[in-house]
Amino acid sequence: MEPDRDLEMHVQTRSGIIAWVGSNIIPFEGELRAWLRRMRISEDEIEDVVQDAYLSITKLSSVAHINSGKNYFFQTAKMALFQRLRRERIVPIDRLVEIEALKVADVAPDPEVRTSARMELERVRRLIAALPERCREIFELRRIEGVPQREIAARLGLPEHTVEQQAARGLKLILKAIAMEDAACEARSQRPKEMPSGARRG
Amino acid sequence: MAREEDDEGAARWAVRLDAGPISATQERELEAWLASDERREGALLRARAALEYLNRGRALSGAFHEEDVPRRLNRRSMIGSLMAAGAAACVGVLMLFPRERRIDTEVGEIRQMPLEDGSVATLNTASKLSVQMKERERLVRLEGGEAWFRVAPDKTRPFVVQAGEVRVQAIGTAFSVRRRDEGTDVLVTEGTVEAWVVGREGDRKIITAGSRGLVEQGVPIAVATAPEEIDRALAWRSGQLSLDGETLDYAVAELNRYNRQKLIVDDPALGRQQLVGYFYTGEPENFAKTVAWMIGAEVIEDGDTIRIARK
Repeated sequence: MEPDRDLEMHVQTRSGIIAWVGSNIIPFEGELRAWLRRMRISEDEIEDVVQDAYLSITKLSSVAHINSGKNYFFQTAKMALFQRLRRERIVPIDRLVEIEALKVADVAPDPEVRTSARMELERVRRLIAALPERCREIFELRRIEGVPQREIAARLGLPEHTVEQQAARGLKLILKAIAMEDAACEARSQRPKEMPSGARRG
Repeated sequence: MAREEDDEGAARWAVRLDAGPISATQERELEAWLASDERREGALLRARAALEYLNRGRALSGAFHEEDVPRRLNRRSMIGSLMAAGAAACVGVLMLFPRERRIDTEVGEIRQMPLEDGSVATLNTASKLSVQMKERERLVRLEGGEAWFRVAPDKTRPFVVQAGEVRVQAIGTAFSVRRRDEGTDVLVTEGTVEAWVVGREGDRKIITAGSRGLVEQGVPIAVATAPEEIDRALAWRSGQLSLDGETLDYAVAELNRYNRQKLIVDDPALGRQQLVGYFYTGEPENFAKTVAWMIGAEVIEDGDTIRIARK
């Protein structure tokens, strides 16, 4: 990772990149984690690799050149994994070779297999529906209906900072759920036995 | 574990930034928080992107809230006056606004984008938009496709949409612009806009809520009142196509805008059949099956195409 970061990238359209990450990277996080898990990477390592991948995305100055967010995400994660494994020497070298042999192209989506808008909407709704009562209410108002935070506070008769606290709590749960989501799907469909049992990293 | 704390902090800051502009003090706090661990920037990106991802629920469900467009600056927004409010709230010093911002959608994608001035643009499938916030003007270029705008009122800076030679100017209102081969459609859902063609500034037409303006080459702008038709024409915001007597040919052309798997009607007589109903734009095969049943045709699926043919 470059310690000396180009200031130029910050001047670029940050909000545009954040929105792009929201629609092109976030939806595939669960899948990426499942992919890493299949390579028997430990949950702790997976967490680090995913973090590294997001960190390198913050260094992007533009996303215009990226055709497939998913492909890019997997590729970035793979690079992060290599760097980590080389640095920490935590796996025997033959495993490294084995991982290196995995082609990211193999996991790339068919251009046709883009999730439909409606499926995506259902997924977003599902994520929000799983939140505890108060959080869920706030998220529905803010994210689905687009009510400003101040007005949500007024409607619910709560101080604004309470709404903000609840929203932050909800987002933290959502972030967890995003990490778990595809893992759960996959457990149901593909590999019922291999799911890591018990709690994830404590 | 540090990561847990990072996620917690990231969630807190993401929500804070989403709520509106932050104060100078908070900005310093955020910088300090980010500076203490390089990874936090990645964690914050992830948290903010997750909020954006959830926002897609709004664009896709077509729900909008009047007050979502912040027009007044609140008491905490000293820097806000410069940075403009809205969901695009930025991290102070780190993030400046670009001169021009581009927003594209892919086939089948519908996307809602808050603009820096508090306006919101919702892009339909396969559309291209660029936005420039100037001192005297908010300039939006629709290079292709279709977009619906909810414009934040600002009398000092008109909101101008350029669609080729066509100009649509609004002050604070909601309307859509669609570029087609034959011309440009302007549908107004709220307030009033003014439309004209470059070089024919004399022929300016006022289009009010519930009306549609048709701007074609070499023909005076035609304005018609059709509130129900406008509601139906904007069903795409919730991923739907509403038909009320339109032909199968028309419906197929519309659905093909949203899907890579193209619908083909084999028989001209079938193509002239009129249809009624709501259909999901992202489900061509369901559309074909339903329609085939309605008009007594058959469906032949063949990889890239779905044919609707005479039985």
